[in-house]
Amino acid sequence: MTLGFAEPWALLLIALAVLPWLKSGQRALAYSSLALIPADPLSVLLDRLLRLAGAAALLCLALAIAGPYLREQWVERIGTGAHIVLLLDRSSSMNENFTGKYLGARPHESKSAVARKLLSEFVARREHDLFAMVDFSAAPIYVLPLTQDRQAVQAAIAAAGGRGHGVTHIAPGLAMALDFFTGRPLTGSRIILLVSDGAARIDDETRDRLRQWFQETQSSLYWIYLRNPRGGRLSEKPANPNESTTPEYFLHQYFQTLGVPYRAFEADNPEAMQGAIAEVERLENLPLRYLEKLPRREMSTWCYGVALFFLLPLIAAKAMEVNSWAR
Amino acid sequence: MTPEFHYSVGWRASGAHPGTHRSGHLGSGHEFAGQVPFIANPDPRHLDLRASLHDPYGQLMVRSFRQRSAIPVFVVADLSASMGFRGMADKLENLARFTASAAYSAYRTGDPFGFVGCDEGIRSDLLLPLRLHKSAAPDLYERLRGLSPAGRSAEALCQAAPHLGRQRALVFLVSDFHFPLDRLDTLLSSLTRHDVVPVVLWDSAEYERLPPRGLTCVEDPETGERRRLFMRPSLREKFRTAFEQRRTALIHLCIQRGREPFFVIDRFDAEALTRYFYQT
Repeated sequence: MTLGFAEPWALLLIALAVLPWLKSGQRALAYSSLALIPADPLSVLLDRLLRLAGAAALLCLALAIAGPYLREQWVERIGTGAHIVLLLDRSSSMNENFTGKYLGARPHESKSAVARKLLSEFVARREHDLFAMVDFSAAPIYVLPLTQDRQAVQAAIAAAGGRGHGVTHIAPGLAMALDFFTGRPLTGSRIILLVSDGAARIDDETRDRLRQWFQETQSSLYWIYLRNPRGGRLSEKPANPNESTTPEYFLHQYFQTLGVPYRAFEADNPEAMQGAIAEVERLENLPLRYLEKLPRREMSTWCYGVALFFLLPLIAAKAMEVNSWAR
Repeated sequence: MTPEFHYSVGWRASGAHPGTHRSGHLGSGHEFAGQVPFIANPDPRHLDLRASLHDPYGQLMVRSFRQRSAIPVFVVADLSASMGFRGMADKLENLARFTASAAYSAYRTGDPFGFVGCDEGIRSDLLLPLRLHKSAAPDLYERLRGLSPAGRSAEALCQAAPHLGRQRALVFLVSDFHFPLDRLDTLLSSLTRHDVVPVVLWDSAEYERLPPRGLTCVEDPETGERRRLFMRPSLREKFRTAFEQRRTALIHLCIQRGREPFFVIDRFDAEALTRYFYQT
C-alpha cells in the first residue's frame, strides 16, 4: 500500500457525496403541474451530470481534506552521463617506467606519462560525462571540480605532467574525490577512477568514514593499479602479509568491503593499462540502473485541483440559475 | 368594484322562483304559451275576446304566458395546491375575482348563488349554500385570495355534484384542469344534469412567458416532485406546443360534454365572459 492519509477521519466526509442525489441545491419554483411539462432528455442529462459533478466534487474535497500522500518509495532509474573523478597519483614513483627504473626511462614512457596519455584519450571519448580531477601524493591537490569543459579537463590532465614527488597517501585523496559528490543529485553513475602505483595504510577510523561516504554517495570505484613487475599481485596473498610492506593487498581487501561497485585492474605495462581503461569504459557505457528514494508526495493538491474541475461546471450552473418566473 | 357579466342559458329553468331566465312555468310573463279556459287560469286581465268568440262551446278563453324564472348559479372551484401558482398573476386572485364577479352577477340577475370549493375533500369551511346572497361577493373575494391552497389533488370535484341540488343549474367549473383528461371526463359525467361552463385558469408564465434560457428547478406543489429544467428556446417551444395541444384537447372534450371552455389567461375579463355567453 503506497497511499496514506494524513487525516483519515476526514474520509468519513465522503458520505456527504450522496447529498447531490438527495437535494437539487436550487431553490425550487412552484409550477402548477409537472405532468404537463414535456419530456426533455437534455434537461434530464444535465441534471444527472450536475448531480454527478456535485458528488464528485464533494468526494474530491473530502479526499483532499483527508490529505492523501504517496508513501516514500524506491524507484529504479536509468542514468546516463557518468560523473567521473580522476584521482591521479603523483607520487615520485609515478616517474618510473613500468620496469621500475627511474633513471634511463624516457619521459613518455614513465607511468605518469602513459597514464596521462590514456586518460586524455579516455576523456576525449566520453562525451556525455562530467569530469573532475584530484591529484594526490602526500596530500590531495584540488585540481578541477566536476565540469563538462573538455579543454579544462585535458589541460588539467596535461598539468599533472610535472615531476611527481612525495609519497602515496591515498585516503585524503579519496575523501576529496568523494567530496565532489556529496550534496549533488544522483543523475548518473558516479565513478572514482583511481590511478596509482601503490598504496598506503589507512587507519581504521578513516576506513569507516570512507566506507560511509562511498555508500552515501553511491559512487563506484575503479582502481587502475600500475603494478611494478616486482610488486605483489592484488589477488594473491603475499608470503608475509604486512600492511607496511604490501599495503596494496590490504587496500584491495578493504575496497572490496566498501559495499559499492568496485573493480581493480592491474596494469604492469602500457598495453595492460590501455586494456584496463578500455574495460572501465566498457563497464561505464552500460546504462546505470540505480534505485532512487522518492520522498512522500502530497496528493491533496491534485484532489483540490480535480475538485475545482468539478466545481467549475457547478459554478457555471449556479450562474445560469433562474429563480423566478417573472422576467 | 366587482366586475359584472351577463349570462344566459339555452334551456328553460325548472324553478318556480321568478327570475330572468326563460322557464317552463306558466305565470306572469311576456312569452305567450297559448289559450286556456278561464276556469284554468282565472285572470280577467288576460281575457282573449277573439279566442272566446271562436270557441265552439262558448267558453271564455284567457291567454296564458310563461313566466321567467331564476336559475341556480354555482361556482365549483378547484382549490388544490396547483392553484397557488403565481406567474404573471396570482391564480388564486383570479379565482377570487371570478367567483366574486359570478356571485355579484348572480345577485344582480336575481339568481341564487352557491359556492363549492374542493381539494382532496369538499372544503366545508368555504361552502356557500344556494341562497340569494347580497354580500357574498366581497366576502368570498377576501376569503379566497387569502387562502393558501395545500390540497394534494382536486379529487373532491367529483363529489361536488350532490351539493348542487336536483334542479338544473348553471355551474362554473373553475380549475386549471391540470389533471388527466379521463378524470375530467368522469367529472363532467357526474355533472351532466347541469349546464357546466368550464373556466380554465391558466397563466402565460406556465407556457409562454418562460425564462428564455437558464437552469430552473420546478416543483410540483401537489406531489412535491422536483425536476431540473434547462430552459432554452426550443424547450419553450415544446411547452407552447404541449399547452396548445392541451387546449385543443380540453376544448374538444368540453364541447362533447356541452359547452366550450372559457379560458382565463392571466386576467379575468368579465366582458369576455359576457361575449362568451351571447356568441353561442
